[in-house]
Amino acid sequence: MTESIIGHRTTRIDGELKLTGKADYAADHNLPGQVYGYPVPSTIARGRLVGLDLDAARQAPGVIEIVHRGNFPALQHSDNNPACGSEGRLFHSPNTMAEQNKVGEARLPFEDDGIHYEGQYIAMVIADTFEHARAAARLVTARYEEETAVPGLFQTDDEGEEAGDEAVSRGDPEGAFESAPVKFDHTYTIAMETHVAMELHASNATWDGDRLTIYESTQGVVFQRNAMAQIFGIPPEKVTVIAHYIGSGFGSKLFMWPHAVITAVAAKMVGRPVKTVLSRQQNFCSAGNRPASRQRIRMAADRDGKLLSIRHDSQNETSFVDAYTESVGSGTPRVYACDNVSVSQRRVQVNHGTPTSMRAPGEVSGSVALEIAMDEMAIELGMDPLELRRRNFAERDPSADLPWSGNHLRECWDDASRRFGWEKRNPQIGSMRDGHEIIGWGMADATWEAMRSHCKARVELRADGKVQVACGTQDIGTGTYTIVAQTASELTGVPLERIEVKLGDSTLPAGPLSGGSMATATTLPAVAGATRDAIEQLKQLAIADGAPFEGKEADALTFENGTLSDGSQTLSFAELLDKLQRGMAEGEASAAPGEEQDKFSFRSFGAHFVEVRWDPGISRLRVSRVVSTIDVGRAINPLTARNQVEGAIVMGMGMGMFEETEYDSAGNIYNNNYADYIVPVHADIPDIEVELLDNPDYNFNEFGVRGIGEIGITGMAAAISNAVYHATGKRIRDMPIKIADLIASR
Amino acid sequence: MMDDSVHSPDDALQPRDASRSSNTVTVSLTLNGEPVTLEVEPNVVLLDALRERLDLTGTKKGCDHGQCGACTVLIDGHSANSCLTLAVMHEGCEITTVEGLARDGQLHPVQEAFLEHDAYQCGYCTAGQMMSTVSMLNDKRIGSDDASVKEAMSGNICRCGAYKNILSAVQSARAKA
Repeated sequence: MTESIIGHRTTRIDGELKLTGKADYAADHNLPGQVYGYPVPSTIARGRLVGLDLDAARQAPGVIEIVHRGNFPALQHSDNNPACGSEGRLFHSPNTMAEQNKVGEARLPFEDDGIHYEGQYIAMVIADTFEHARAAARLVTARYEEETAVPGLFQTDDEGEEAGDEAVSRGDPEGAFESAPVKFDHTYTIAMETHVAMELHASNATWDGDRLTIYESTQGVVFQRNAMAQIFGIPPEKVTVIAHYIGSGFGSKLFMWPHAVITAVAAKMVGRPVKTVLSRQQNFCSAGNRPASRQRIRMAADRDGKLLSIRHDSQNETSFVDAYTESVGSGTPRVYACDNVSVSQRRVQVNHGTPTSMRAPGEVSGSVALEIAMDEMAIELGMDPLELRRRNFAERDPSADLPWSGNHLRECWDDASRRFGWEKRNPQIGSMRDGHEIIGWGMADATWEAMRSHCKARVELRADGKVQVACGTQDIGTGTYTIVAQTASELTGVPLERIEVKLGDSTLPAGPLSGGSMATATTLPAVAGATRDAIEQLKQLAIADGAPFEGKEADALTFENGTLSDGSQTLSFAELLDKLQRGMAEGEASAAPGEEQDKFSFRSFGAHFVEVRWDPGISRLRVSRVVSTIDVGRAINPLTARNQVEGAIVMGMGMGMFEETEYDSAGNIYNNNYADYIVPVHADIPDIEVELLDNPDYNFNEFGVRGIGEIGITGMAAAISNAVYHATGKRIRDMPIKIADLIASR
Repeated sequence: MMDDSVHSPDDALQPRDASRSSNTVTVSLTLNGEPVTLEVEPNVVLLDALRERLDLTGTKKGCDHGQCGACTVLIDGHSANSCLTLAVMHEGCEITTVEGLARDGQLHPVQEAFLEHDAYQCGYCTAGQMMSTVSMLNDKRIGSDDASVKEAMSGNICRCGAYKNILSAVQSARAKA
């Protein structure tokens, strides 16, 4: 083929399905005989469930069954309940990343009578229609022995439990701090955030004998299959999890939540498909959150701005039913050259819903604190904040004694600052004005580790002239369908219109979670391997006895633009397969990270430059301009890649200015909806100008990609806070920034 | 991928006491140009009627409270949150959903613009964004400048944050309309 499609702006191959309403998300499946599940949530946050009155609900129209602790399969001990498994019992999932069966919450639904957070399931009504299930669910009444809820991190003095595996230390951070000429000790907080993916969590489960099929809004069909198999005690091959399209997840759909288990049990009980779509309110309670964090940073430098010491000690909330560690300081030892660094992390159990990964988990929270601290250090030194960062550029990964595979942060600084016009910045606070408005300019660095996992893929060159690629990963809106097709097109020369991509089905060759910005780097090498394997198989078929290229060496055949040639004879693969009366030539491959992991440190870097406008007369704060340059290696599809970064910037604006899941002292969320939990909308969106550097990282994989989903959100809220300081002189260390913080007297 | 069988839970099941759930109302309306008759209980919202009874699942539920805009449809040509209105209120109405935008296999100019500008990521809010766009472009009260468009579209949340591309698509569709 003449022009590479890798790196070429490509509209989505699944675009037309999404634009015509034909893309099938989990809740779009309506199965014959289907009934509806509607959960009943706990209204208290801590205590014991001592009674459930189900009579009124049972008498309500259309009710078929009510699933609750009294009829739910018991954990690991036999009883006479016929509901599930041959012994009518359930098991815990091992809940590990290594076994790919991690779940969102280790506790099984209804496992005991304890109530650990508001919205924990106490029952689920199954009825013939959604309306009947919802109406009956509201007739269920519960009696509790209520206990005083452990309040959130910011209302407790509990130090929490040390997460030992998070601790990092090098040099002598304490000694270096004590003797340093310039230093400070500040505390930063990030409010709990909720993912609020547009698509509500949904499950639609069907049993056929001992086989379970479940349509789920999940970022990991393989993980959910494995966890379901463990919980029901059946072989993984008897569980099929399907997620063809996902209304995004941002982490909330990485690991299975209890509603899916209840739905699967209910489907067994009633012998019909059961569809459960969680309400938005329920999504806030029991489908994960970014936990609140409190971070103490002690930072010291010499008078030239050389960092001498960073200590980053953090706490995060977790629930009483799963120990979630938010690795807040994970980026801190790596981003800047500093000889004396320590990081620690503690978990504090509170009666809030169980946290989980949310876009750039841990590191974004840490980056916000660290990047505000860098701005504070620049102020202390009377130095330009960009210059301070330049003076602490890490030539190698300071945490691993490894060279970077590619650290293009300096180019990011140069490019973004030039496009932003940073050299025109007057450093004096409040000095830049436009009419009523005070303009603030701030910047922050962005960074995210490049990760890669195991992946299998299958490719079929088919007699109908089509190429089919199959992999059990997902497209959560990031554009995976399209880049997989681009890869197959690149290697076969077959145009995109004739490439079909199958994702989002646990029966396909096992693919990775759509998370951690690792799906691209993980999936494409396997797809490439399978494509080459299919081409090789095609060549072997072509040279076999009686075949058109009989007697030739396979290596002497070329495969270009979908055609096989020996220099004199040329046949398309469809023509060849047709002559051979074969349906397809098939290839499979498995790909995994290798020894490159011991040679290089793989991390992406970028820089955000932000302009805010503060109108003190009407107390209005707006982000008016964002200029970002990001290096993620190669962008397979610049169209969707840039969209990822722009979207992450928008979510970073939410983190900096709007987003906070708010609980009262009794442990009830009081903004559990899209009106009161504020996210950026069209009217909030400033001019956003993103550039992606094109520095392929071939040390990492043959396509030079490092992944792109998370990096754009890191540092973003800090850049806003730093710009706010420049405009107002108010140093806001608690995210989100509130107008009240800005109008308060100094 | 989609199940082809049209499924009506009301018909498929035999509730234990049928008399308790026979409280239905007949509604006749025009849906994407076709006449449709529904038998629904009065508390069935239009969104659920479309999705669960008519298998028109292109219209999405994001909040069920009129807060996110994912369920936007056109009712007699005007955009509306289908989660905030009951099916029984639409006797005789003409309702257009995302499934009714393309004609004769040809994408609507708004759909084409969304495709070309990558005005989505996950695609879940997209039907609502497009229906609001179609309505807005026909609304002479709304200015054609970017600020007016952003204000007018702010009832449609895109959590993926593809707002910049949505704006580009809207303005591109306007130019072609």
